[in-house]
Amino acid sequence: MAQRVEPNHWRGTIGRRTAVVIGAFLLWAVAIEGRLVHLQVIDHERMAAEAEEQQSRNVPLLAPRGDILDRHGDLLAYSVDLDTIGAAPREAGDPRKAVAKLCAALGDCTPDEVRTLVKRFNSGRGYVYVRRKVTPEEARRVRDLNLPWVVFHKEPRRFYPNLSLAAHVLGYVGLENNGLAGLESTYDQRVRGRDGLLVVMNDGQRRTFSSTVVRPPVPGASLELTIDRYLQYIAERELRAGVAEHRARGGAVVIMAPHTGEILAIANSPSFNPNVFTKAGPDQWRNRAVQDIYEPGSTFKMVTASAALETGAFSPNDVIDTGNGVITLGSRRVTEYEGHRYGALSLTDVMVKSSNVGAIKIGFGLGAERLGAFVKAFGFGTRLCPDFPGENAGMVWAPERWSQSSLMSVSMGYEIGVTPLQMAVAASTIANGGELIQPRVVRAVIEGNRRIPVRPKVVRRVISPRTAATLVEIMEAVVERGTAKAARIEGYTVAGKTGTAAKLVNRYYSRSDYNASFVGFLPSRQPALTILVVIDTPRGGKGYAGGVVAAPIFQRIAEAAVRYLGLPPNVNPLPPLIVGVRPRPVDVAGPATPLLIAPVAGPLAEGQVRLPELRGLSGREAMQVLARLGIGARVNGDGVVVEQTPLPGTPVEPGTWCRLSLSRATVHSHPVVTP
Amino acid sequence: MLERRLYYHIDWLLIAAIAALSAIGVAMIYSTTHAGPNAGLYVRQLYAIGIGAFVFMACLTIDYRTLADNSLAIYGLIIALLVGVLLFGTTGGGARRWIELPFFNLQPSEFAKVALALALAKFFDESRRGSPSVTDLAVGGGLTLIPFILIAKQPDLGTAVTLVPIFLAVAFLAGMRLRLLGILLILAVLAAPVAWRYALKDYQRSRIATFINPEQDPRGAGYQQIQARISVGSGGIWGKGFLKGTQGQLRFLPVAWNDFVFSVLAEEQGFVGVIVALGLYLFVIVRSLEAARLSKDRLGAYLVIGILATFTFQVIYNITMSAGLAPVKGLTLPLMSSGGSSIIATLAGFGLILNVRMRRFTN
Repeated sequence: MAQRVEPNHWRGTIGRRTAVVIGAFLLWAVAIEGRLVHLQVIDHERMAAEAEEQQSRNVPLLAPRGDILDRHGDLLAYSVDLDTIGAAPREAGDPRKAVAKLCAALGDCTPDEVRTLVKRFNSGRGYVYVRRKVTPEEARRVRDLNLPWVVFHKEPRRFYPNLSLAAHVLGYVGLENNGLAGLESTYDQRVRGRDGLLVVMNDGQRRTFSSTVVRPPVPGASLELTIDRYLQYIAERELRAGVAEHRARGGAVVIMAPHTGEILAIANSPSFNPNVFTKAGPDQWRNRAVQDIYEPGSTFKMVTASAALETGAFSPNDVIDTGNGVITLGSRRVTEYEGHRYGALSLTDVMVKSSNVGAIKIGFGLGAERLGAFVKAFGFGTRLCPDFPGENAGMVWAPERWSQSSLMSVSMGYEIGVTPLQMAVAASTIANGGELIQPRVVRAVIEGNRRIPVRPKVVRRVISPRTAATLVEIMEAVVERGTAKAARIEGYTVAGKTGTAAKLVNRYYSRSDYNASFVGFLPSRQPALTILVVIDTPRGGKGYAGGVVAAPIFQRIAEAAVRYLGLPPNVNPLPPLIVGVRPRPVDVAGPATPLLIAPVAGPLAEGQVRLPELRGLSGREAMQVLARLGIGARVNGDGVVVEQTPLPGTPVEPGTWCRLSLSRATVHSHPVVTP
Repeated sequence: MLERRLYYHIDWLLIAAIAALSAIGVAMIYSTTHAGPNAGLYVRQLYAIGIGAFVFMACLTIDYRTLADNSLAIYGLIIALLVGVLLFGTTGGGARRWIELPFFNLQPSEFAKVALALALAKFFDESRRGSPSVTDLAVGGGLTLIPFILIAKQPDLGTAVTLVPIFLAVAFLAGMRLRLLGILLILAVLAAPVAWRYALKDYQRSRIATFINPEQDPRGAGYQQIQARISVGSGGIWGKGFLKGTQGQLRFLPVAWNDFVFSVLAEEQGFVGVIVALGLYLFVIVRSLEAARLSKDRLGAYLVIGILATFTFQVIYNITMSAGLAPVKGLTLPLMSSGGSSIIATLAGFGLILNVRMRRFTN
């Protein structure tokens, strides 16, 4: 082996050529490292994100939406989990056949729906919806098909068990569990809760192998409203009947508790069913009571009169000459309603007869600045309630820019845009002794087992109690002998004001289209309810005046409401209840005592008070009496007090409790116990 | 048998590097498969390394010259096995590659590389001229072409192609004229469009097309390349940690324990781990080249070069592919990828390389 021709020639070749190879190899190594630095250092974040993205999927865990309850806890809105049917088209085979199978089970696919479904199945996506939130019956039929490529999952569906009742207050909820209108929208964040997050890990074959709850869902809060389901029903029923009777375009009713600002009912016509809100349109969806403005007309004279009395510019008995029922300013000529000529009227009678000329003269007497200040103070031109989305602030021009003609208009409720809610609040302010209380529709928010009450908020004092009392008297007279006789209610004093305002149609005041309204409260000296009725464009044969159109609706609502609330009548009230106690069987030997009127009348200790007679008072009155003494009340039932423990005359200490039994049946028939 | 004085010339460093790479491979195979249906794969790999160690010792003990003298017989045996595979082989993944044995399936194509290296070394060693003549190259090319065609017929073009570097490297280091090399290169370039049109199958064409633009088919042919890139990139500098890699374990990277074991390493051990592995491969290759240079005779040098050529080619291609820089081709990473025949044949090859180095002072 040793004798080669060129023994070591190969070594040189190998030496040289391996050097070349090693060089090339090192170049490659450098290139690869460059690439690795690029991928692992520079692009690392992006690549890691891509890996993360393809390996995990975020699935929201839907939080149950809170309920909406009325003031007594009756359900107005709640959510139920329903099945949503989905499908994996890639595993379904022929889309047409697959859709046909599903539709056979669902039973009510329209040809349009079939087309849409086939299109969805052909989209190439891994998952498509078949139908969302189906009835349990439909779900069962599809489930019975036992198709491996059909997927079910639960989605909450909103239900409004009372159908259209309070629809505008509640609003409605979209397909994605999102509040779209009304309280569902305003309180969406709180009612919706917070969706949880489930992270699902899947492998390269898209198979899920583990899931982690990253964040559990937080259930939504429930809302307790100030709405009273029954009053709401009455308001809607009477509004609907009134709108139909007068062939009106629409209308609104607001019922409030003047002392607390609580809105007991808001009714609008036309209305809709929020369960199937898509079947209605914007005209039905609109909450006219807070979203629409109208020129109030004569009801606004309340404000003019308030300003006149509060500023001291007028007193109720000041005589205002309304002349022959015409007042002119330049080319403008304002006449009384139906051409009346009232001559000299007291301020009270200006209101009672709703004299335009009188109101204008009062307005002139006040001037724009003073009247404007009161317009603002009563809450016109501002949003009053945070609970309503899209609440209209109304339209009030700045008083310093009012012309004399504007001043004339505003004095009698024209050239000013107000919402029905604002008008109801203005009346409530008078009813409440002059304090404007923020109107509200949410009484409490219930989060978990915590009830967070919404406190009444006094916005400002608008007029003094004295002025308010005077206005109440004037407004009582309006109902008693003025334009609103149709609003009278047997047994109760009612204060109110009518309004009939021509609508602006094509920039001219119409001679055929009017807003007929009435706003009033009762019992006028101790108001429990403020009720506003606005009817848009009544066209019935009975006319269009507030006194004939709106006042009777007010009267029907108010009558039903006092019956329901068990308000005791305040006109010629029945004599106070005398409750006797049957004599106990007595000891033969002892002196006979025929009747114990004040059975327990022990001596008063230090700091004690004697419990007064509460029987016969209304629940409200009884509680006011007790509250003054610092004694708590435990009330059972409603109506008037028929029983109290301890009995009247018992010495009690402030801070203790008194148990009251109320009943409504006794209002008209007294159980008089005689010995 | 192994004489005592030869024992002192065993290249322990090279053995250590090879053992380290094999151990990394087993760890990565364990990591990607431990939670899946192939959980036992790392045990099989350990067995194969055990068998490989025996074969390694056998290849180390028997003088390479004795083996070279019998190279034609060995070559013949392999050709027979390759023909046998085509006739009686076990089908897997659309190709006949394996001969079923009691414990494992033998893949003769892996051993064809060693056999071809032996045969070519012997052949070019016997040609006594300063540089191989055209005839020499033709014969050498023929020796290469026979197993190439048999393997390509399986079909396993990837493995078949790994035979080509053996021939080219041995011929190149045997002093093949550079002008001839140039002509071969030009011919290859000219043949490329023809091969593209006629020789390649549709899936092969689409692989190359998607390599150039993987996003054109992210769920199909470009998928593996994109996933390899994501695996490597998401590892970052320090990696996600042992058993913490998600791309391989969740099978976003298909057959991660095999073709993409390097991507798994990059994901779990990060840039640092990759540098270590890359350094080990570099060391193995340069150290082996040194064995060629130190070889006592041409036969030894050619043998080392032949074996190293196919090894290096696979390392380069696989790592380049794992980094998303080359079209996806079913080429394993020698020493690290799972595969019994591959590791045994590779260890046999390194047995021969150490054999040459060890016997550099003998006569």
